Amino acid sequence: MAPSMESTTGFKFDNVRRNQLLGDKGYKVPTATKTGTTIVGLIFRDGVILGADTRATAGPIVADKNCEKIHYLAPNMYCCGAGTAADTEFTTNMISSQLALHSLSTGREARVVTAMTMLKQYLFKYQGHIGAALVLGGYDVGGPHLFTIYPHGSTDKLPYVTMGSGSLAAMSVFESRWRQGMSREEGIELVKDAIEAGIFNDMGSGSNVDVCVITKGNTEYLRNYARPNERVEKEQSYKFPAGTTEFIVPRPAGVAAGEESTAMDTSA
Amino acid sequence: MSALKPGEVNLGTTIMAVQFDGGVVVGADSRTTTGAYIANRVTDKLTKIHDRIYCCRSGSAADTQAVADIVQYHMQMYTAQHGEAPTVKVAASLFQEICYQNKNNLSAGIIVAGWDERDGASVYNIPLGGSLHREPFAIGGSGSTYIYGYCDKVFRPDLSRDECIEFVKNSVSLAMTRDGSSGGVVRLAVITKDGVERQFVPGDQLPEQYVG
Amino acid sequence: MTSIGTGYDLSVSTYSPDGRIFQVEYAQKAVDNSGTAIGLRVKDGVVLAVEKIKHSRLLVPESNRRIMTAAKHVGIVSAGWMSDTRHLVKRAREESRNYHDTYKRDVPAKILAERMGMYKQVYTLYSAVRPFGVGTIMASYDADGPQLYMVEPSGQYFGYHGCAAGKGKQVAKTEIEKLKLSEMTVREAIKEAARIIYSAHDETKDKLFELELSWVCEESGRKHQRVPKELIEEAIQYAERALDEDDDEMDDDEE
Repeated sequence: MAPSMESTTGFKFDNVRRNQLLGDKGYKVPTATKTGTTIVGLIFRDGVILGADTRATAGPIVADKNCEKIHYLAPNMYCCGAGTAADTEFTTNMISSQLALHSLSTGREARVVTAMTMLKQYLFKYQGHIGAALVLGGYDVGGPHLFTIYPHGSTDKLPYVTMGSGSLAAMSVFESRWRQGMSREEGIELVKDAIEAGIFNDMGSGSNVDVCVITKGNTEYLRNYARPNERVEKEQSYKFPAGTTEFIVPRPAGVAAGEESTAMDTSA
Repeated sequence: MSALKPGEVNLGTTIMAVQFDGGVVVGADSRTTTGAYIANRVTDKLTKIHDRIYCCRSGSAADTQAVADIVQYHMQMYTAQHGEAPTVKVAASLFQEICYQNKNNLSAGIIVAGWDERDGASVYNIPLGGSLHREPFAIGGSGSTYIYGYCDKVFRPDLSRDECIEFVKNSVSLAMTRDGSSGGVVRLAVITKDGVERQFVPGDQLPEQYVG
Repeated sequence: MTSIGTGYDLSVSTYSPDGRIFQVEYAQKAVDNSGTAIGLRVKDGVVLAVEKIKHSRLLVPESNRRIMTAAKHVGIVSAGWMSDTRHLVKRAREESRNYHDTYKRDVPAKILAERMGMYKQVYTLYSAVRPFGVGTIMASYDADGPQLYMVEPSGQYFGYHGCAAGKGKQVAKTEIEKLKLSEMTVREAIKEAARIIYSAHDETKDKLFELELSWVCEESGRKHQRVPKELIEEAIQYAERALDEDDDEMDDDEE
């Protein structure tokens, strides 16, 4: 048998052609919700830190002001998702389930490369139609690991990474300040600053900063580690004084007059 | 064959492999791009397939990684079943089979090189259509177009190991300066009977050349 | 066979209480009833020879060949059912082509033997099938030099310097053991192969037979081919002379 890249369970991309045809004929092509996002990850002295903003968008509208983009994969592994929200959610959920079964059957903690391979093979199979751009981080027997995974299934292994529409802003922070062997506090601060660079300079990113610190045998999920967009007391009051709107006939509000009301029997 | 899909990660690349008596030198730049953005500036495009077989990847990052992973798996199976290491030819043939059978869905230009007990050092080139060519040296990727003349002028079949290393360093860095999709550092691997020696030339220590 | 008649030999999917599978052993019997087939691996190649027993004088000479080619560098001679043999050779050809399609190199004899062994083994597992009544001797000249393997009906296979199957295998094996195979050339081996087939032939049971010979060697360009006519004739003369001498010796003994 000649070697093949096709798996025995096949997928057809007929609907892609259908959509293309629809578009060519001038019809509206159905679109998925994509999130403008800033997600980042870096390796520090004792492990890996992941970070993400919390804005989810549907076109020009902010669909969720405080969503979670750092997804759970395994106790020692988390994964930030950018791209199509539904795809990142379902992909990470499914791989998480497979990893749980995998470590149950091997009796070992799952490795980060295992998750990376599963994700890349899954995404490659769908030829980029699953719009999940991921930052995968974790700590296993080989120490800390950090990967980026693109929707088409390519992967990179680097000491610091960014992804999403805010990745350029975030990368500029990393490129100027990341160095080997940073402390936990320095690492978290750098991740926070990188995400904030995305939040403030990228339209697709916004709201708060989520951080996740994974070290040997310990994971800390710092939900809303920074809230740089807290709503504060308005400097001016926008209450209108009574009588601002003129009226002709006063009509009292409340229970309509003339109806008899019966007192409730409250005796024991 | 197929063009890059929108948003796909590209290895707009310079890759190269040269055979000498007793081994091969493989080299590559380190740039991966998504459109105009450099997604990785220190990429390792030299991928290990077996103990003494490497491949240089150019084209789509996703496609070439997937193909390399498949061939790597087959070579492990081959070793288990045959009780001996595969030849470079066997690995290259497998690459060719996959690249040819799936030519309409892949954009992958791959150079396979290494050393084996049977044929010694060898270099195979598998360009986009999925053909297979054994050559004393091979260049590939978008950057290679700038250095065909240079390589043809400089290459000699009797180049020594150290001369080959210099040849690869010079050729790849020349391509890197003229090709916008190539850049970063030069990564090298010298594969001989005795094993693999990896080398790395930082971007600020590349061979000097006219830059205007 | 102690358990015969107790029902343990009806199906290949049933073991006997002492751990045997009788149907497989019966298949081996089918091999043992066949005309003798031998293979000799020498320093520059491999020679295959077989005693093709003819049941009729009306058969066209050199028809119904028992030595077949599985790949350009692989020859197969079988002892046992010819119909099964043809099926297995077809399979061997498919396996060889398949291997070549994948790795673009000639299949090593070891791998082909393993795959043929695996194929035969499957027919020792299920009650709905019958094991192959064939011992397959494979001669090859691959990248590692001359190779000789024999695959049994059970699926077991071994690599040999020399091997024999069929009616005369005992006689043949004792004769082969006397040879210094690793110092021999194929040209010498052809003569010895002919002699062994002639001496293993039992005139009292089978009157008519034809000697078939093939080789894979340096001289044949590492291809499996029929041995040239003049060499076969030379070998037959050598075999007949040797037999006569043997007879004379025996006569001498009797005196």
